[in-house]
Amino acid sequence: MNQSLTIEAANRRFGWFMSAPSLALLFAVILFPVFWALFTSVHDYTLITPNFDNFTGAANYVEAVNTPEFRHSLLLTTMFVAGVVAIEFVLGFIVALMLNSVERFKPIYYGILLCPLLMNPVIVGLIWRMFLHPSLGIVNYLLSVAGVEPVNWLGSTKVAIWTIIMVDIWHQVSFMIVLLLAGLSALPKEPYEAARVDGAGTIRAFLHITLPLMGPVIMVTLLIRLIFAVKTYDLVYIMTRGGPGTSTDFISYFIYRTAFVSLNIGEASAMSAILLSLILLLTGYLYRYMRTLT
Amino acid sequence: MASITLKNMNKIYANGVSAVREVSLDIRDGEFMILLGPSGCGKSTTLRMIAGLETITSGELLIGERRVNDVDPAERDIAIVFQNYALYPHMTVADNLGFGLKLRGVAREEIDRRRDRIAAMLGIEPLLARKPSQLSGGQRQRVALGRALVREPQAFLLDEPLSNLDAKLRATMRTELIKLHRNLGTTIVHVTHDQVEAMTMGERICIMKDGEIIQVGAPMDVYRNPTNTFVAGFLASPPMNLLEGRLDASSNGAIDAVIGDARLQIPASLAAGFQTHHGKAVIIGLRPEDFHLSASAARHAVELIVVAITTEVLGPEVILVANLAHARGPEVQIRMPRDFLAKPDEAVKLYFDLSQIQIFDATTTRALPRQASK
Repeated sequence: MNQSLTIEAANRRFGWFMSAPSLALLFAVILFPVFWALFTSVHDYTLITPNFDNFTGAANYVEAVNTPEFRHSLLLTTMFVAGVVAIEFVLGFIVALMLNSVERFKPIYYGILLCPLLMNPVIVGLIWRMFLHPSLGIVNYLLSVAGVEPVNWLGSTKVAIWTIIMVDIWHQVSFMIVLLLAGLSALPKEPYEAARVDGAGTIRAFLHITLPLMGPVIMVTLLIRLIFAVKTYDLVYIMTRGGPGTSTDFISYFIYRTAFVSLNIGEASAMSAILLSLILLLTGYLYRYMRTLT
Repeated sequence: MASITLKNMNKIYANGVSAVREVSLDIRDGEFMILLGPSGCGKSTTLRMIAGLETITSGELLIGERRVNDVDPAERDIAIVFQNYALYPHMTVADNLGFGLKLRGVAREEIDRRRDRIAAMLGIEPLLARKPSQLSGGQRQRVALGRALVREPQAFLLDEPLSNLDAKLRATMRTELIKLHRNLGTTIVHVTHDQVEAMTMGERICIMKDGEIIQVGAPMDVYRNPTNTFVAGFLASPPMNLLEGRLDASSNGAIDAVIGDARLQIPASLAAGFQTHHGKAVIIGLRPEDFHLSASAARHAVELIVVAITTEVLGPEVILVANLAHARGPEVQIRMPRDFLAKPDEAVKLYFDLSQIQIFDATTTRALPRQASK
């Protein structure tokens, strides 16, 4: 008994020893900045007076919540995230289902699909900004060939957010496809045969077998995509700079502006903390909700 | 309930592999039919074609009077039990049992009533709220069986349903399936590679090899009169000893079966069917249980000397592995009573029952007709 305990203790020690380097690295590049930001968020810290002399408590948080632009960009981000995640999920699932039944040339399809995903968002933004140029872009040219009036893709307050959503879908939908496809191809074949004999057609087999079995994969895919979508920053920075006006002023971009344009690091940190807690809440909720499904 | 008729059925896969060739079989209404054969013989493909999970390349399939070649599996009114059970992993046992009925639009109360009856019958009531991952292999097997039973189909198709169970459970389930068939009277097609299952369970056995049917018949009929060396060597354990030899004419219309230096004189009364093969090479089949220690135990005894190599003590019996005639003779396996003893290299005098001898053509491997002894 004692001996097995000491062996267990030794194993535990060895485990800590082996994971220590990565834990240290994790602490240095992730946990430390997070705590630093939290610490900053309760101080009046600006780039003009970069010091922690004035402890302000919750003042930065109150200030942030009372800023109409902050609330506006939160709302805008929510719309954007809901839009891209929903559309990418539906589109991705449909394509994944189709690819799952494809027998030949699978690697080629994979290769094509992965291309956008391999591109840096900055490059994606630059490419699309050229494509979508009101007078010189190829998109409006093609539309004009088809007899459609040119669209002011990035310069109209009504259209700009949809343009960003569209580009994000182009860029990220393959992520959904690849993950969902991996999940689909790992599903057991037998329950489908049993369901066919039991009398389930394609649609009912999908509803009663595929969807529930895919539950965990769907959960993970949605979560990852959701978190990444909330953080969308580079596309906006390259394509619209939050404009026109504040029509694409997503939360990450707004925080960036608060920190490095308005130089108010303390308040920006408070906003980041609010964003972080929102994402954590959402993640926790989604995780628990999906666990009840499976 | 319904009969199942297969007419010249073929299955050729897209890659050109021919899995089933010209299979014709009449499965009678209420019959327990076994499809038996080694792996890759096409028995599972045949079953899957009956179920509708594989398309039929050519030929006809009738369930009852209805041609069902192009009928959807759901519309064929059959149920299948898969080798790995294929339960719905995300549903409870109760939902697994009720799913097929729910899809068919059966009323809730009716589903509950039928499910509870089947659960009671199979003794799985305490498991109804569990998921398949929380069940043992035997329990899953019962649930899979229950899922088929609850539908009350025209026929049950069983695809090696017992092969994932341990030996003891397999024996129990064998008996239960036989009882079940007796109570329900529904047509059952049972695919297996296990000849014990085939012998004990089936009313008839259909033996397949390389996509073709080799022989169909009642278990003892197939056992006693195998149509070729494949069937003779496949049924029973230890299987029939198949020894290369020759037939020589002897006096008074008798025939000598010559195996190496051993010579078994088959009297004229038993040799009528073998006369065509005078002087020809044949394969001589000797069942392990047709060797006896005394002449009186055999109907047409002929004396044989064997030289023991080893004995395998099984408990109820002893398997004697020995060389026929002398130490360099061909090896045979012989079933002996449980108190039999023999040292290695010991010569043992035995009597073979000639009324049970089987002769096969050496080139076609087909059995020569044997005159039944009265």
